[in-house]
Amino acid sequence: MALEQELATYAAKLPELKDQEGKFVLIHGSDVVDFFSSYEDAIKIGYDKFKLEPFLVKQIQTIEQVQFISRSVDPCVTRHAS
Amino acid sequence: MALTPGGPIVNALVGVSEARRAALTSAGQAIPPLVQIRGLIDTGASCTCVDPSVITALSLPPTGSVSMLTPSTGATPHATAQYDAALIIPPSQAGQLPLVFQTIPIVGSDLKAQGIDALLGRDILSRCVLLYNGGPGLGLFTLAF
Repeated sequence: MALEQELATYAAKLPELKDQEGKFVLIHGSDVVDFFSSYEDAIKIGYDKFKLEPFLVKQIQTIEQVQFISRSVDPCVTRHAS
Repeated sequence: MALTPGGPIVNALVGVSEARRAALTSAGQAIPPLVQIRGLIDTGASCTCVDPSVITALSLPPTGSVSMLTPSTGATPHATAQYDAALIIPPSQAGQLPLVFQTIPIVGSDLKAQGIDALLGRDILSRCVLLYNGGPGLGLFTLAF
């Protein structure tokens, strides 16, 4: 599954990342690379550092905000959220 | 613009994000051409979704993951892959500038069966003013930016 390692890193590190709430974290493999104020900056540095290798950009939220779509659509599911 | 039977639909273009474009160029790989889409303006969508065919056409790998709730997911949020992309909404009148998002996060949802390619959510609308006049007949809407 794509980004499985990165998502596991995020979940494991989340308790340590609380003081960066709201910022966007860049993760590559098991490494927390850096934090950014904007999604665009995190994506840019992700491609600068890792080129076309997989990397994860995720907004740090101790309680993850859920995205809502009120229209009846099937999202492309990766797994059930825990 | 005239409302369609499916609602307020705009033609837009989706492409690779600015940063991905630079990475592809640096690697000597071709830039996928922009994909033209029919996007339904959806004030009920907190984020922008595109049909998986668009993601495939652009060969986008996931760079994120978000939890999503839709009427089909029930009460349990589903983890959904997120992709970085560029989105361009051309102006409706000549001489005006397009609305350009060089880098936005998008998710995939099966939309083709509904006659659309994308839901343009409130992340896009936060940069716009939407006027919806659903008067007699099909009505009109304006997306100003």
